[in-house]
Amino acid sequence: MSIEKMELVNIAGLTKDLDTVLVKLSDCGCFHIESATKMAGKKTGFTTLKEENPYTPLLKQLSEISTQSGVKFTSVDYKDVENESLSKLERYIRGIRKKLDIVKDKETKAAELLSVHEQAVYQVDHLQGIHADFEQLFACEHIKMRLGRLPVDSYSKLSYYDDKPFYFKYFSTEKEYYWGMYFVPVAYQEDVDGIFADLYFERTHIPDFVRGDPSEASKELHKMVEDDQKAIEDCKTQYDEILNKEMDRLCRIFSRLKSQHDNFDLRNKAAIVNDKFYIVGFIPKRESDSFLTMFDDLESVSVVLQPADANGKLEPPIKLKNNKFTEPFSMFVDMYGLPSYNGINPTAFVAVTYTLLFGIMFGDVGQGLVLAIAGALLWKFKKFALGPIITRVGISGAVFGLLYGSVFGYEELLDPVYESLGITFLPFKVMHNVTTILIGAIAIGVLIMIISILINVVTGIKNKKYEEALFGNNGIAGLVFFGSLLAGAVGTLFGVKMFTPVYVICLIILPLAAMFLREPLTYWVRGKKFEMEGGMTDFIASNFFEVFEFLLGYATNTLSFVRIGGFVLSHASMMLVVMALANHVSNVGVPLVVIFGNIFVMGLEGLLVGIQTLRLEFYEIFSRFYSGDGKPFTPVKINYDENIE
Amino acid sequence: MAKNYNATVAKIMAIYGKRIMPQDYTEMMNKQSVPEVAEYLKKNTHYSELLSAIDTRTVHRGMLENLLHRSIFETYMRITGFEHISKQEFYNYKILQTEIDEILRCIRFINAGSQKMIADIPIYINPYTSFDLLELAKVTDFRELLSFLKKTPYYDVLREIHPDADGRVDVTRCETLLRSYYISRLKSSLKFKSQDVKLFTALLDTDTDLINVINSYRLTAFFDASDAVIERDMLPFYGRLSAAKQKEIYSARDSEEFIRRFSKTYYGKQMIENGYDINNLERSAQRLRYKYAKSMLKRSASAPLSVYAFIFLLEIEVQNIISIIEGIRYGIEVNKIASLIIM
Repeated sequence: MSIEKMELVNIAGLTKDLDTVLVKLSDCGCFHIESATKMAGKKTGFTTLKEENPYTPLLKQLSEISTQSGVKFTSVDYKDVENESLSKLERYIRGIRKKLDIVKDKETKAAELLSVHEQAVYQVDHLQGIHADFEQLFACEHIKMRLGRLPVDSYSKLSYYDDKPFYFKYFSTEKEYYWGMYFVPVAYQEDVDGIFADLYFERTHIPDFVRGDPSEASKELHKMVEDDQKAIEDCKTQYDEILNKEMDRLCRIFSRLKSQHDNFDLRNKAAIVNDKFYIVGFIPKRESDSFLTMFDDLESVSVVLQPADANGKLEPPIKLKNNKFTEPFSMFVDMYGLPSYNGINPTAFVAVTYTLLFGIMFGDVGQGLVLAIAGALLWKFKKFALGPIITRVGISGAVFGLLYGSVFGYEELLDPVYESLGITFLPFKVMHNVTTILIGAIAIGVLIMIISILINVVTGIKNKKYEEALFGNNGIAGLVFFGSLLAGAVGTLFGVKMFTPVYVICLIILPLAAMFLREPLTYWVRGKKFEMEGGMTDFIASNFFEVFEFLLGYATNTLSFVRIGGFVLSHASMMLVVMALANHVSNVGVPLVVIFGNIFVMGLEGLLVGIQTLRLEFYEIFSRFYSGDGKPFTPVKINYDENIE
Repeated sequence: MAKNYNATVAKIMAIYGKRIMPQDYTEMMNKQSVPEVAEYLKKNTHYSELLSAIDTRTVHRGMLENLLHRSIFETYMRITGFEHISKQEFYNYKILQTEIDEILRCIRFINAGSQKMIADIPIYINPYTSFDLLELAKVTDFRELLSFLKKTPYYDVLREIHPDADGRVDVTRCETLLRSYYISRLKSSLKFKSQDVKLFTALLDTDTDLINVINSYRLTAFFDASDAVIERDMLPFYGRLSAAKQKEIYSARDSEEFIRRFSKTYYGKQMIENGYDINNLERSAQRLRYKYAKSMLKRSASAPLSVYAFIFLLEIEVQNIISIIEGIRYGIEVNKIASLIIM
């Protein structure tokens, strides 16, 4: 459970072998590439290849097919298309696209027609009150008729025009409109049309294809809509048939082109001088032997391995080594940021503390087991990354549930078991031990903080960061101060006089002074001369406030762990409420209240406890020893995604 | 003792939270057509419910504007009906305001000899008004209007007005009289806590000052009106700008002199401080009114102040949308439309 050791790889060879080398590198799956020009520098005469990727246009065409059709190309073996020329592939893809475009055009036209017919249905359906043939109505010689809809507000204004020769008849209403028609003598048509235009009457122009009365027309139109929908469906089927027929070949072509495309992109990372190339990157140390043998068949290519930190310009990438238990928790470490190459891998610490803290807060045998099963199912069927974590913390919750004697909120269920086993100190009744729980929570917090500080001291010394390791608030000085203060407080509580002058001076004041003077002390340890920037006043003021902040930090961080106790109690209290509710319903209702109550508490508490534990990890633990500024190890590989930049 | 109506204030703040944001205005300004703006309003703003039944592809610009105006009134009814405060005299101010606006519109139509007033009559307010708006729309001359208004308080306000030989009346004078009546009514209806009355009066006085500045500027710049005419058409209410101070400003010989004198007043300095273009006085005065109303809404927990400030902000919002719609309709450049937006 540490950080994978890396080796710096330098590969040089003739440019004629560059593509072969890049293919080998992406195939091996363990090579993290860096930009070689970054190392080579301008003075060395190295340049980079600035070329258009020849595979991009064809891939874009395939990408468009994928976007348009919604199909996903998968990576397959492409040996049988490996030697086909790009122009042949281009012709093939163009041919497929043409076939697809013809069908797509047909579908678009059918969809447009469908929209027209649906609009006509919508209009005609609002005119169902007209029991007359449209053709006959429109054929009237002396009376003109207009169909359409009038805004509700305008309808109220029609009485204003009582003296005008028109008649408006509505057949249906909707939120903002009256659907209907107005009749007007031909002689007054212009005048009345003007009035209705002023009233925002929206005229409906019944399409020529609508025949008969509205009821007949509606039937006819519904038939047309159905036909349009069928035509669209037919087009989709045709489209799918073309694709299905060609899918295998398209996938093979896509895999080949994508592989060549991504490998070609890697050429930009190589540095070139004359006819030679130079590539630099990292591989995990344990892969070095097999890696070296990969290039045996390329005479011009030479590979040199160096220690990972051999070149100051290149920071080694980070690959965390975790075991099966801790692996899922690396997600949290990723979220915070990876450690530096010489730092420590905190995943194991996170895994243990997260599991324990969650279990303590969520203690219930039944709910814990349900959570564990849910996590396992989420992982198995949905590959949900939190699933394995949920399983682990669920089991932890079940274990602590055993200690608390709580099963789905039934706090007395395990009492007879412990009695029969003769265990008198269990179950540990949460609601009867509130003070113990809260003090215990702080004790756990103090322990975790001390371990975090110790980790910081070890890594600080290892990385020669003496200021942090020895004199910082998370260093030895901080540890001595924090530990002594707590020990003194506990001792005093138990009647032991701890705060003697010697104790106070040596274990409290001296560490405080060390923290205050941490900068000059670090210079002194390093054997260098300390120069005060900004004068004595600035030095005192800034260090005074920093130390004050440290002291506040100790207090708030310690108290922050009280939340562990708080959630233990809140979980138990919520289940008490569920049980109290269950006691007030009929016998039939009891299982329902208990089941839904448990689901509710599991959901709410699970979420809260999960978030709070993560908060403790990030803010109270990580902040003491961890910076999260490492860069991830990302081996080069072909990305079989259709999206082309 | 006056009740608090905190729930009304909270409701107003909740509605205010859904207001059109600057980025919404930018999005709308960059649309190519009125239907696109209507579609944006329907899909992305608090007007979606209002426009839910509207086919944005075919909706008429005038109807869209009427709907937006209606939404102000509906919101007003919603918030004043929330704790039934609409029964208090003060909260009738919106009806009063609409009645005056419609009477003035009627007078303008009489002067123009047009009969088209009906199309934009806010018919949805008709159940609440003291006279029938549809009947008002039928009025064709001023004498008929006076006789129509006989049983309303507006008769006494307007009876001193006499049409000229062509039947036309002085709209500015009518407006001054009607607005003065409105402000007097509003002030007499302030039966709240003394602190609220004080704050509201200050807000109203600021509004009156700025309206007077705008009117006197128009009369000076565009009509070359005499001091006596301007004085007659001023609203007789004064806030930070006393009658004497106002007279000093509008007695300027031209618009430049007017702006120069105005720039030395409290409001002039405020405009300069806020970076408003003092030469575009009307727009900047609106901006200032908007700023005061916004600040009042944020600071005050009093229902009358909140209702009044909020409805004013909503009116400005609708005015902004209409500016955008008209700007797009007439193909005005985006940056020119942007300069019309009050934020």
